[in-house]
Amino acid sequence: MSPSLDLSRWREAPKGVGYRRWTIISSGLRHLLRTRLFITLLFMAWTAGFLIAAFGFLLSQSIATGGWLETAATHMGPRVEAVVTAIGGFIVLFPDIIIGGFFTLVFWLHSFLGLGLCLVALTVMVPRLIASDRASNALTIYLSRPLTSADYLLGKLGMIVGVLLLLWTGPLVFGWVLGMLLSPDRDFIVYSFLPFLHALTFNGIALVVLAATALGVSALSRTSSPTVILWMVLWIFAGAVAKFPLAPVWLRRVSFSHNLSEVRMTVFRLDTALADASASLPLLTEQMGDSLRKAALSAQAHDFNGAMMGLGVLTVLSSVVFLRKLRPE
Amino acid sequence: MNLSAADISPPDSPGQTDHRFIVETDRLCKSYGRQQALADVTLQVPPGTIGLLGPNGAGKSTLIKCLLNLTSPTSGSARVLGRDIRVWNRASREKVGYSPELDSHISGMVGCEYVTYCGQLSGMSFRHARQRAHEILDLVGMGQERYRSIDTYSTGMRQRAKLAQALVHDPAVIFLDEPTNGLDPSGRENILRLIGSLRRELGTSVVISSHLLHDIERICDRVIIIAHGRLLEHDSIEALKNRHRRIVELAPAAETGRYLAMLTQAGLEVERLSNGRLRVESASDSIEWVLELMRTHNLPPAEVVTNPNALHELFVRALAIGPNRT
Repeated sequence: MSPSLDLSRWREAPKGVGYRRWTIISSGLRHLLRTRLFITLLFMAWTAGFLIAAFGFLLSQSIATGGWLETAATHMGPRVEAVVTAIGGFIVLFPDIIIGGFFTLVFWLHSFLGLGLCLVALTVMVPRLIASDRASNALTIYLSRPLTSADYLLGKLGMIVGVLLLLWTGPLVFGWVLGMLLSPDRDFIVYSFLPFLHALTFNGIALVVLAATALGVSALSRTSSPTVILWMVLWIFAGAVAKFPLAPVWLRRVSFSHNLSEVRMTVFRLDTALADASASLPLLTEQMGDSLRKAALSAQAHDFNGAMMGLGVLTVLSSVVFLRKLRPE
Repeated sequence: MNLSAADISPPDSPGQTDHRFIVETDRLCKSYGRQQALADVTLQVPPGTIGLLGPNGAGKSTLIKCLLNLTSPTSGSARVLGRDIRVWNRASREKVGYSPELDSHISGMVGCEYVTYCGQLSGMSFRHARQRAHEILDLVGMGQERYRSIDTYSTGMRQRAKLAQALVHDPAVIFLDEPTNGLDPSGRENILRLIGSLRRELGTSVVISSHLLHDIERICDRVIIIAHGRLLEHDSIEALKNRHRRIVELAPAAETGRYLAMLTQAGLEVERLSNGRLRVESASDSIEWVLELMRTHNLPPAEVVTNPNALHELFVRALAIGPNRT
């Protein structure tokens, strides 16, 4: 006897390729969101986003006319009031140095946290990108559907972009936008915008490099352990070797974390902000000026071109690896 | 040159599944280095349940992979459901399902989530995919196991999950590569019945690759035989049987000796089989002459089976043909 096929029929037009790619992205992110580690990372990232907004709010309220600092200073005697008035005056005279410098510092610090959280998340994610699909022959399942290998790849790339948006870019944008919404005047938006753009630029460069590297590493092996080990070697071991003072230049350029540090220094221009502050701000003692100048020197990139070349080579090599391995076996 | 709408859009709209041929190939070739996996395969396969037969390494899986664009043909052309696989890469697979021979799944998902996800990858909305996933999983005989991680499934359950993902988006044609491998006898029976009823009840054409001739003979109405990458036979089972030696097997209820004497007397070469049956070669497609003999000689009733192992004979003959056949 034949079984009775009591089925609903599906005769609708299939949804477009954008929907199918989004299905890959959202499914990957949903699986990641089920892990406790990722939720912890998410909590840390968005706490940092709120902190950016809070710092912006505190700065604006501290130094703006009629802000809480000025109000509090009136109750603390004429000397404190004079200092606070002087700081307020600095803002009026040097808004680019005070506001721009403050936000450059905040975004610079946030880039360490954002990048760090993303690297930890990618360590968990790397085996799930391509390696596990190759191990279980899932590529055949994907590519026997109305999807091409480019769609599959874009889906996986979207997963990495999603992680970076959730852990880095999202909190950064949120923190800045909220901080600006709460700021008392337009100066804060105008003078923090450039540091914000610098932060986004660095974020974009890191995104391209990390996405390509993660996909390349994930495509190299079929099992989880070698994939994670290779990722850790590239991230931690190569990073540690690059920090060794006697390490040759070419060896330093192998480490993407070292190269990203160089790029960070160039993109954020923290050295310029510090040098400008030491040269322009009055009332600084000689010692404070020297300290700022020394800090500016140490925040200077030494091998930006080499670092960019290193990142470029890594990105190209990784892309070659995952493009070659993408066809189903 | 002006292009008409028919030139720039797929030849059929979604939902329209009436095609004269589900698969058309024209001198399709596939080489791996110096080894030729497919050589000038030209086919026009009408809708139905089609068995794809051939020894190991004959090129069955390669043919299916070429039709799905999982591997690029070296030369020649192919159309699936009227769509050229090169021109309409994605669209050619919209109404096609595939259950590969190798264990293939997306790890880290539970069964129903996996089948739903596959439906979504074919363009179904989550709601429709979810509903169809549960219905198909019921159909392939998966109960509460559907809520377990697919990584923990036995071979048989994975085979069912593979079939479910191939069917979830209500395809017009499905390619099944050894779909009963690893199934226990009752599971195999259920799956074969299901496959056999797909065309009849849903209108879904099936191309099933298997080396189990009995299964193919039971559920298929057409057969394609491939060996050494070449197409050897493609016809309906009925026609193939008739084209080959017309064998009749008789299983008399009693008086086997009289049957033997009667057949020998009629000038036929009779072979007595170990199971007690009598095997003779018939001169015609009809078995009227046997019934006439039984009536004339007043013989007891007998089971009469025509061309009992025709497919097997055909297959063995195909195996005997060398790789250089032209």
